[in-house]
Amino acid sequence: MSTIRVLYIDDEENNLTAFKAGFRRQYEIYTATSAADGQKILENVDIQVIIADQKMPKITGVDFFKSISKTHPDPVRILLTGYTDIEALADAINHGDIYRYITKPWNDLELHNSIKNAYDAYVAKIELRDKIAELEKTNDELNRFIYSISHELRAPLVSAMGIVNVVKMEGLFDSCGEYWGLIETCANKLDYYIQKTLQYYKNHKTTSDISSVDFNKLIQELIDLYSYTDKDTHFHVEIRQNTEFYGDAFRIEVILGNLISNAIKYQKEDETNKKVVISVDVQREAVEIVISDNGMGILNEHLEKIFTQFFKAKTNQGTGLGLFIVKEALNKINGKIAVSSGLSEGTTFKITIPNGR
Amino acid sequence: MAGKHKKVMLIDDNEVDLKINSKIITISKLFEEIIVCQSGDEALTYLNKHQDDDERLPDFILLDIQMPEMDGFEFLEVFKRFPDRLKEKCLVAILSSTLDFGDIKKAEANPYVIKLLKKPLFPKELEQLLGKYFS
Repeated sequence: MSTIRVLYIDDEENNLTAFKAGFRRQYEIYTATSAADGQKILENVDIQVIIADQKMPKITGVDFFKSISKTHPDPVRILLTGYTDIEALADAINHGDIYRYITKPWNDLELHNSIKNAYDAYVAKIELRDKIAELEKTNDELNRFIYSISHELRAPLVSAMGIVNVVKMEGLFDSCGEYWGLIETCANKLDYYIQKTLQYYKNHKTTSDISSVDFNKLIQELIDLYSYTDKDTHFHVEIRQNTEFYGDAFRIEVILGNLISNAIKYQKEDETNKKVVISVDVQREAVEIVISDNGMGILNEHLEKIFTQFFKAKTNQGTGLGLFIVKEALNKINGKIAVSSGLSEGTTFKITIPNGR
Repeated sequence: MAGKHKKVMLIDDNEVDLKINSKIITISKLFEEIIVCQSGDEALTYLNKHQDDDERLPDFILLDIQMPEMDGFEFLEVFKRFPDRLKEKCLVAILSSTLDFGDIKKAEANPYVIKLLKKPLFPKELEQLLGKYFS
């Protein structure tokens, strides 16, 4: 540990001399006989602990501390006073940001301990500030990273998907055996991972932004979006929204989007009547959403694990991220989810999200 | 359908995407002519030059968001200063690969954007949109 730098301000030179004599071996000591001189030292030396006498001719110790609260907030303050002055004490606590209050004549051991503790407080304060700055920087970088994933990383992938579309339109898709199809599968898979990764990070980071949610519009948009690649599934949508709903639109969209796309994705291949039923009931206190399908269903012993990260059943092509993100997003907005399922009968998810009105 | 909407303008800095989207539009015969612009600036110059010439003006603009120098939103800021006649003739849709929630909301909130289309462009999706506005 490097030597603690202490500044002691007192108009009585005898006290300064006594302090130096008592502590010069332990600390790097700077002294001043007036607040103005003390101020000068502060401007030139990186002081960690300041001790000031309360009763000085031009300015009191507390007023001095107040005067440097903006310019030198870091050094930890100790107030010395020759008499028990309740008013000064109250003022010191309320305005001076003072760490200790010590009466004169001081006891060497008591003062020594106070300075040591004050230094520890100083170190903790600086460390906390450094950690916060570090954290803010990391957060900032993460934000930029997320943004670049959603643009720079995804843009060329989407171009590749566009090329596959052109190949299809030109009738060349089957011209090289199954290769174009394999490229398409890989591109789609990568895109899915990118989307889920983004959703996860955005859910993790963003604070809630409450706005009015129109479930009629939202559900229809999501169905349009996810049924685009699969026109076989029939949707039965029932929405009762007679009252305004306020919630985190981004997270609600993520939650419903994942559940609706799952309901479409995990159908039984041989099912002739693929069906997804969505019902939304908006109440003053909360919205209740039920999404059920007649798809492949979930094994009973898997039901508890489906919300854990990277859990995937052997039989399907999932990534183990969708439902994990659903659960994480619901946690952020105090929502609840329940699931019931029968193997090859279908799955029902029931969600409750509080109305933030 | 052809004849009613003749010209489309593509604004995108990405050459590969310009090529792909031109191809998709050509094959699907949704427009008769494609005006290709590699920047918002180039597009504005074109629109300025031909603003009184209905024959030259595009009926539809597909605008990318992420572009160097002038991005899609900045383009729209300038675009809104064109006379109403031009804005009514040249409908704008955004075509972007963005997944950024902020970008999406901003695009939807812009009064001059009729729709946010996501890359890759699907001809059917474009056709449905055109059907809505050019019937």
